[in-house]
Amino acid sequence: MSDDIDLRDIEAFLYREASFLDRPDLDGWIELYTEDGTYWMPAIEDQVDAINHISLFYDDRVMMEIRRRNFVHPRAASKDYIVRCSHIISNVQVTDSTNDGLTVTSNFQCVVYYNSKQTLYAGRYTHELLTVGDEFRIRHKRVDLINCDGVLGSIIIYI
Amino acid sequence: MTCTDEDIDGLVTPTKIHRRVYTDAAIFDLEMQRIWGKAWIFIGHESQVPDPGDYTTLTIGRAPIVMVRDKQHEIHVLHNRCGHKGAKLVDKPCGKVGGFRCCYHGWTYRLDGKLLGVPHMAGYEDTGFDKDDPQYSMQKLARYESHRGFVFASMDPSAPDLRTWLGGAGDVLDNLCDRSPEGEVEVAGGVLRYEHECNWKMFLENLNDTMHPMIVHRSVVDAANDYIKTLPEDSPHRDEAEIIPPFGASYENFEATGITGFRYGHHYDGGKSSIHSNYSVDPDYEAVMLEAYGAERTREILTFNTHNTLYYPSLTIKSAIQNIRIVRPIAVDRCVVETWSFRLKGAPDSMLQRTILYSRLINSNGSMVGPDDLTAYFRMQQGLESRASEWVEMHRNYGSDEDHGDRWTNKGTSDLDMRSQYGAWRHYMIGEAV
Repeated sequence: MSDDIDLRDIEAFLYREASFLDRPDLDGWIELYTEDGTYWMPAIEDQVDAINHISLFYDDRVMMEIRRRNFVHPRAASKDYIVRCSHIISNVQVTDSTNDGLTVTSNFQCVVYYNSKQTLYAGRYTHELLTVGDEFRIRHKRVDLINCDGVLGSIIIYI
Repeated sequence: MTCTDEDIDGLVTPTKIHRRVYTDAAIFDLEMQRIWGKAWIFIGHESQVPDPGDYTTLTIGRAPIVMVRDKQHEIHVLHNRCGHKGAKLVDKPCGKVGGFRCCYHGWTYRLDGKLLGVPHMAGYEDTGFDKDDPQYSMQKLARYESHRGFVFASMDPSAPDLRTWLGGAGDVLDNLCDRSPEGEVEVAGGVLRYEHECNWKMFLENLNDTMHPMIVHRSVVDAANDYIKTLPEDSPHRDEAEIIPPFGASYENFEATGITGFRYGHHYDGGKSSIHSNYSVDPDYEAVMLEAYGAERTREILTFNTHNTLYYPSLTIKSAIQNIRIVRPIAVDRCVVETWSFRLKGAPDSMLQRTILYSRLINSNGSMVGPDDLTAYFRMQQGLESRASEWVEMHRNYGSDEDHGDRWTNKGTSDLDMRSQYGAWRHYMIGEAV
């Protein structure tokens, strides 16, 4: 990656992604991903394998498209409640860079209001970003919840 | 509210269940003693504790329990409680120990639970305390037995032996293992722990409720079908396209799968067919199965196709998928459901990968299936607080359950599963013949 990418631009991109989830607007959110982009929420700390080990989420474009349609389906009982989120992202660091992309880690806290209850999710994001001119696209987003291996309720939306 | 046996007798009839069965904390307390304290409860799989000192912990009702392998490689199921002041001896989901040592006063125990050491014994001289009195050891559960690696335990010394208790429903557990060319399975790929804000029985009652998928899961089926339609014909094969759409199968399809019930509250739907029947078979898997069993036996194994099988009250398995779910009651309106996956020993990796995919797509906290089921349970839990009507009904196909001696059968859309569960409920709660 060239040195001219400003950390503030990367942060602005992460905030933009989070703001789509805050609303939530999955149509807009999906557009931030590359066609082969993936979203992963492991079920254990330091999980290395999403195929031979269970995860909470592991979606590629096909699953994102299904989830986006399901999210607004009038008969989805679990979506019959208002969903509002508030993300806070900090400690943004570039941990790796290549010719066409970079890896960014950050800490997050996300409060989800759903079915009369607020749930706090917290942990670490790892974004593998593709640089396209001045823009970014997400090749892979990894969400490591600090309680990924604990007892959890329904996780109704991407975090 | 207190409950006499007479009260309980009136709470469940052949066609209806009183709302208190789901909402009354006093009933829940009795269930923990009389059902969870008597029935055979699934403890874990032997593959979770392969070596001496390996342990896993769980609760049976409210009691903390540990399954551990001793130095002679024998598995024990013990109360996870120090013989001194009662502290839990281990407090992780699983781990490895040389022996047990209490974090409080340092009492130590062998892997079979026998008390070994008490610090500063001098103070006990001439006090009547006897270190060798079995009451000060970790207590073994009254009964524990294993069937093909699946360990069950019961706190009732007079429980029937495990094989008798499993009855004909044991065929499905056998089928799960037989789907391995070596006839053995092992736990693999981690666990999901999913909190459910509902009474534990609502989860069980949904397992063979085939009148709900086309309603509750319509949204994900529509979403999947809508998207799949937009893909080009020559798109690569996706297991998701085989797994999700059958949840939207018709009433006629589900009716035809049938439900089979057994003594002690066990039951399954399917047998000849289920929503898993039309999955494609990996040719590499088929080859190792044919090699191990021959054509006839392989066909028998792979066409015995059940959907959910319940071993009342704790364990439900999907033999065709190789995953299991375990329910752990917490309170009258709360339980935790765990999902575990199994590897078929000797089968290609693709089999475990499909199991993992299925668990994630259907049973995960983040799935588009589990949360819709849970919403229905949660709303029942809230709705049953209304006293406008006191009863939940289970009339569907009542009076036409066919009695085959060791099992009962009826249509897949019948309430035979509910009647089977509540027969067992009455057996454990008030001693009615099962």
